[in-house]
Amino acid sequence: MLAWTVDAAQGLAALLLAPGVVGLVRWLKARLQSRRGAPPWQPYRELRKLFAKEVVVSTNASWLFRLAPYVVFASTTAAAFLVPFLVVPRPLDAVGDLLVLVYLLLLGTVFLALAGLDPGSAFGGMGSSREMTVAALAEPTIALAIFGLALSAGSTNLGQIVARTLADPASALSPGHLLAFAALFVVMLAENGRLPVDNPATHLELTMIHEAMVLEYSGRYLALVEWAAALKLLVFFSLLGNLFVPWGVAVALTPGALAVAAGSIVAKFVVLAVGIAVFETRVAKLRLFRVPELLSASFVLALLAVTSSFLAR
Amino acid sequence: METVFARLVVLESSLALLFGLGMLWRRGVPAYISAFRWQSLVLAAVAATVAHFGRDRELYLVAALLVVVKGVAIPWLLRGTERRFASERELAPYVNTATSLVVASLLVLFAYAIMRPVVAASHLPTRTGLPLAMGLVLVSLFVVTSRKKALTQVVGFLMLENGIALLAILGAYGVPFIVELGVFLDALMGFLVMQIFVYRIHETFDTIDVDQLDRLRH
Amino acid sequence: MSPFALLLAPSLVSALLALVVRPYRRVVGWANGVLSLLAFSAAIHLWARVLAGDTPVAGDLLRADALSALLALCVSGVAALAAWLGPGVGADDGYDRGQARTFRIFANLFAFTMLFAVTTDNVGFMWVAIEATTITSAVLIPLHASRASVEASWKYILIGSVGIALAFAGTVIAYFDFVAMAGRDHLSLNWTVLRDAAPALDPQVMQLAFVFILIGYGTKAGLAPMHTWLPDAHSEAPAALSAMMSGVLLAVALYAVVRWQAVAQVTIGRGLAEGFVAMLGLLSLAIGALSLWSQRNYKRLLAYSSIEHTGLVCVGLALGPLGVFAAMLHLLNHSVAKSMMFLLAGRVLHRYRTAEISGVSGLLRVMPWTGGLFAAGMLAVIGLPPFGMFVSEFALVRAGFAAGRPVVIGLVLALLAIGFVGVIAHLNRMLYGPVPAGVSVGEGSRWALVPLAGCAAVLMVLGLTVPAPIETLLVRIAEIVAP
Repeated sequence: MLAWTVDAAQGLAALLLAPGVVGLVRWLKARLQSRRGAPPWQPYRELRKLFAKEVVVSTNASWLFRLAPYVVFASTTAAAFLVPFLVVPRPLDAVGDLLVLVYLLLLGTVFLALAGLDPGSAFGGMGSSREMTVAALAEPTIALAIFGLALSAGSTNLGQIVARTLADPASALSPGHLLAFAALFVVMLAENGRLPVDNPATHLELTMIHEAMVLEYSGRYLALVEWAAALKLLVFFSLLGNLFVPWGVAVALTPGALAVAAGSIVAKFVVLAVGIAVFETRVAKLRLFRVPELLSASFVLALLAVTSSFLAR
Repeated sequence: METVFARLVVLESSLALLFGLGMLWRRGVPAYISAFRWQSLVLAAVAATVAHFGRDRELYLVAALLVVVKGVAIPWLLRGTERRFASERELAPYVNTATSLVVASLLVLFAYAIMRPVVAASHLPTRTGLPLAMGLVLVSLFVVTSRKKALTQVVGFLMLENGIALLAILGAYGVPFIVELGVFLDALMGFLVMQIFVYRIHETFDTIDVDQLDRLRH
Repeated sequence: MSPFALLLAPSLVSALLALVVRPYRRVVGWANGVLSLLAFSAAIHLWARVLAGDTPVAGDLLRADALSALLALCVSGVAALAAWLGPGVGADDGYDRGQARTFRIFANLFAFTMLFAVTTDNVGFMWVAIEATTITSAVLIPLHASRASVEASWKYILIGSVGIALAFAGTVIAYFDFVAMAGRDHLSLNWTVLRDAAPALDPQVMQLAFVFILIGYGTKAGLAPMHTWLPDAHSEAPAALSAMMSGVLLAVALYAVVRWQAVAQVTIGRGLAEGFVAMLGLLSLAIGALSLWSQRNYKRLLAYSSIEHTGLVCVGLALGPLGVFAAMLHLLNHSVAKSMMFLLAGRVLHRYRTAEISGVSGLLRVMPWTGGLFAAGMLAVIGLPPFGMFVSEFALVRAGFAAGRPVVIGLVLALLAIGFVGVIAHLNRMLYGPVPAGVSVGEGSRWALVPLAGCAAVLMVLGLTVPAPIETLLVRIAEIVAP
């Protein structure tokens, strides 16, 4: 019973924390660029504002346009509930594993892409096609990268993978793990619309991918989509943090362990946020035709990760 | 102690392979020279690691040679040549980047397959790195055959030599030192002659694009 | 005095002499010629010692058995030819002093590396020497700088070095196999040690090693499909260098293959080793023979013929002891014939100023002696009696039937016939017909023909009989390679 409560609580906490993490990244970038920047809790204000605003929908839009934000939000929330934040093993592990996670994320992506096409605007179509190109190359890489870890853990169950790495600390430094980390990092940048793949702060035609798809949304729909995007980033952060550097994750349901786990996961979020902010400030956006090359490179890294885990045992 | 040795060596070998893959991903000769230099330094680190854990003094000398010759001297010479032909970037290799990367990963898988009996026959703790060394050899071979600029081909060839040296170090803690010395000298001489030829090609053809070398057909 | 010193030192001394004397004087060329004859006589002395049952060694480094003796003979002989007939000896040979000096330095270093490769017992050093041959010969190919020669030498040095590097990978894998079995020992890269340990080595590892070695040294030997550098390099190089490359460098690369085959076939079984070699041999034979038809340049014609003959030697190596005998005899014949042909081609080129077959006609009228020798050599190269190649090819066919491989032999004969017809057509066009405008009639310097006529005489002798000393040598080789 306690386990279920903890599980539900950690999922909800993730939901509530997500906009804060995005705000933190934005604030850090601003500071690095010598601007004052909005405070890290600005996204919460934006969400509150958006929920209160009126929804304006194009006359060309169909039921898909109205449905998509809910599907995206629901699938991302479900994905968030599947990822281990605080404790392993969890009762929700039995509900879904690595493959379910990947499919849930993909479900959200597909619906968002369709919603971009639905109103028939030029920007939306362009954004959707670019998004699907990126997704086509990035999704297999996520699966492969985590699959590499799954092979050494002997199961695709995420909780199991974390537990296995905790039990054998030296394996965290093996080439398989490091390569998988690198591959997943690149894919995280691609899937969440971060530099060098997509600029989250721009609305210029030549450079938009994610922003182009959601251009038509307003009011609560936009709020849901933005929240889902923030949650997706959080999911990736926790995958990167907990699968590869699992120390701090609680194995028992004692208050002390949980407190440590909470502290460590927040610390990991902060570290990754800093990492992303610094990286985005340093790197320039890639020209669109070079994005497949970047993703092929990360695919190769993931493939090598699987190879070295599988064949070098 | 053994497993730390093995893990460290595998880590360093993977790094060497990754620098080799960097040749397929990045463009521009300075990037290639950089990748080669770092790869040689990592190779020297492998030699030093094996020298320490495997208690083989000669490998320290090999590591030193690697640093001096391949880590410093050759990149410096390459830089000089590259500066002269600065306008020539590898814009359009025979095989494009994305395909090259996929082919490279397939070559690494192939290397794992063919090195199976070798890994099985070895008793050394460094044996898990052997497929990576062979992977580097095959990827370098691919680089030499799929690039158009003569200078890129030279760097690819140097990486091939690095791969074979890695194979020797991981498989048998290096070949007898006197042979190693001979191999180094050969590599250096070969490199110098190739350098001369790159200049010659540029003199005669006004470009170092080997696609232009098509006078001799059948 | 150690037989090795007398064999190896002259070429080094000649190179040094050419380096030191600036500007180049013809006396250096003369000295080079004399020293090369000294090396040749040392090779003959070595031959005599091996025939007497002796196997001279010099420490762990050098060792001369029958195989080494045969190749030392070929290499020093062709090096002597090149020394006397190369740039820098005659009065008008179309090369200036600087080029002559470059030639003398590097050609002698080239000869030294080849001689060292065939007399060393250490396979690691053998590799180092063969890699050095690539470097020293590549420098000389663009002696007359032109787009074609620069392109040819770039291809040669790149493909050659990459191939050789693969051979080293194979050597390392074989060494690894030995070490895994026997522990480290400073003698362990010696061929004799490897051969003795061969039965106990891991067959699968050795298989992998042999494949790499075959591909690697095969690249240097001109085996298809790694042969693409050969027609370019051999046709663009100066005549004396082509003679050395086609005549003996291919032979030295094949020597390396044979040494490794002797070790590998004990470990992985005769059938498998022979199979690999035969496959590449047949492919080279096919490509060489078929390409002869469409050639427009007579030097490229000779180069493709070299590919054909290399393939033939490899097929011979795959046919058991009789096949090895035939293959080695063929190697000897080919060295003599091909070097003679390239040197003659050099004379023709110098007179006609074109390397195109269509540009050369009326050769028998323009230079009767050269033309006659050229015709004789060409007939020898395509395997007609009464020249040596016919005897060795016949021996090969006999070996094939004895080994129970009639299909292979049938294929070989068919391909040889195809090559034969292709060459005859070209030869006819060159020998007869009108003399082109601007080509002066008359022999030019005759004394240069004397050594070449000597080569033709040797070919004829070998075509009528295999003299006992040579036969004994070849039998010994067959014993070493395929016991």
